[in-house]
Amino acid sequence: MDAIRAARLTRVYPQAPPGVRALDDLSLTVPSGRVFGLIGRNGAGKTTFIRIAATQLEPTAGQIEILGHDVMTQTDQVRARIACVPQESRPLYFLTVEEAIRLNLGLRGMSRQIARSRTQEVLGELSLTELATRSISRLSGGQRRRVMVAMVLATEAELIFLDEPTTGLDPIARREVWGAIRRATREGRTTLLTTHYLDEAETLSSRLALIERGRLVLEGTPQDLRGRVRSPYRVTVEGSFSLEELRSFGTARAIEPGFLVFASEANARALAQEALRRGARVAFGPVDLEDIFLEVVGRRIEDDREEAVAA
Amino acid sequence: MSLRQQFQAIGTLVQLNGLIPIRAQPLYLLNLLASPLSFLFFIGIASGGRLLGYGVAGGMILTMLSVGTGLQSDLTHYRHDLKFQDVIVSSPVTAPAYLVGMALSEFVYSLPGMAVFLGIWAYEGWWSWTNAIVLVGALVLVWAFASTLGFTLATYFEDVRETFMFSPLISLGLSVLPPVYYPISSLPGWAQKIALFSPTTYAAQLVQGASGQVAPSFAGAVVDWVVLGGFTLALLLLATAKARWREP
Ligand SMILES: Nc1ncnc2c1ncn2[C@@H]1O[C@H](COP(=O)(O)OP(=O)(O)OP(=O)(O)O)[C@@H](O)[C@H]1O
Ligand SMILES: [Mg+2]
Repeated sequence: MDAIRAARLTRVYPQAPPGVRALDDLSLTVPSGRVFGLIGRNGAGKTTFIRIAATQLEPTAGQIEILGHDVMTQTDQVRARIACVPQESRPLYFLTVEEAIRLNLGLRGMSRQIARSRTQEVLGELSLTELATRSISRLSGGQRRRVMVAMVLATEAELIFLDEPTTGLDPIARREVWGAIRRATREGRTTLLTTHYLDEAETLSSRLALIERGRLVLEGTPQDLRGRVRSPYRVTVEGSFSLEELRSFGTARAIEPGFLVFASEANARALAQEALRRGARVAFGPVDLEDIFLEVVGRRIEDDREEAVAA
Repeated sequence: MSLRQQFQAIGTLVQLNGLIPIRAQPLYLLNLLASPLSFLFFIGIASGGRLLGYGVAGGMILTMLSVGTGLQSDLTHYRHDLKFQDVIVSSPVTAPAYLVGMALSEFVYSLPGMAVFLGIWAYEGWWSWTNAIVLVGALVLVWAFASTLGFTLATYFEDVRETFMFSPLISLGLSVLPPVYYPISSLPGWAQKIALFSPTTYAAQLVQGASGQVAPSFAGAVVDWVVLGGFTLALLLLATAKARWREP
């Protein structure tokens, strides 16, 4: 069964300027038992989607089912099986780290004994054991964020919503969170994740959706998404080439130092060989999610501008 | 959530928002003690002890109202600044369990104040089973409607500063203008009519009766219970329909 099935979901905020839709006829399916990444620019509608799916916000139109239950008519069944780290959420500051995690489990009805052991587990997993008895008010921003993630990953929820869980985390802490998310996946749970770290989205997610202005732009496996751009390979070269020359291989622009070229696989290989022959520094590989993001979103912004000018 | 789990959630909220913060900062307990006690002090001194019973009755009602306004600021702060309500909404915890648990956790802060008032109340010789039942019943209803009002408003406020603006207005409307600290008979006729719109007027008559200040008629007491109970019920229904648990 799918974890999330949204059909023609629209959300218009009451005070929004006329014509602005935070979500605009968005249809999206999230399969269960995997990590699904939701990416898009600031204001694209990611949080709005999560808040509707997590029963915090009403949709203006459209349907959405969570684990087979309608969010509006079968809300209790949905709430029994989900947990959420909202964007910019923080734990209650007067609790200790251990209390914040354990009491959240108690709130959700877990027995004392199980709550204690799950708390210890997640503390260890996210390197919080040393901070267990520390008051939240005396933690750094990133440490607090980790406690929020721990609170939710420790629950029994089948579907977990993480809205920018790793914002402000150091590279090691981020990887610990990744590990904990992967473990949740191995336990058969589903995670819906938003992040602006596209390497993170790509590493963790088995499928990704790119949204822009409330509309779905791309959806698929990271592999699928690569196939959707005009030039699936990126080559960086330093020296020995002019921009003009490089443009015959694909779209090229100057970067510091050297040039960045997006090209088809054949052209990218040809360029790399030519660069090696000339003894220039060269790096070559498939485009990453950030390239796709920049190309696709950039193109849409251009299109919108042209439309606006035409109108 | 099973009934047992609902009770567990309520107990956890009391621990989370009542017992633990008090353990960390016991001075919190003085907060709800301050203003009812200062009223009691002024009324007691100014009347040479004659109106002490009104001061005690008013102090207990004001304390229960403060539970509601305290709840309102806490809930607004948690919802807005910590996104705590969103965490709770996306969980099996129901809105009624959250309301009851948080309202009980705020009640914990009023215990020292209530102990002082009940001490004076018993010392002055007002104890009897009937008085005790009337007192507890009326105060529970005040706690219930004040908390329900606080909870409902907290789901609307966009920031805590709004609650700082609203709370004094609510206190004024529910505890200073209505005859909570003095007998309704000391108000001019027209003001008595206005006071009849406040539920605290009815609660005050019951509590003043249970503190040996007024001797209400049987019919009068029935009216007090019906109006106070009806008002509380109406607020609960309003909360069910209007509190923004899931944002519209
Ligand atoms: N409470 C609100 N009232 C009015 N408009 C809102 C509200 N919340 C969000 N919006 C608008 O809805 C759109 C989508 O916002 P949303 O928070 O879903 O974006 P997002 O993709 O999560 O962005 P970010 O990456 O910055 O978190 C934006 O245009 C935003 O301005
Ligand atoms: Mg967001």
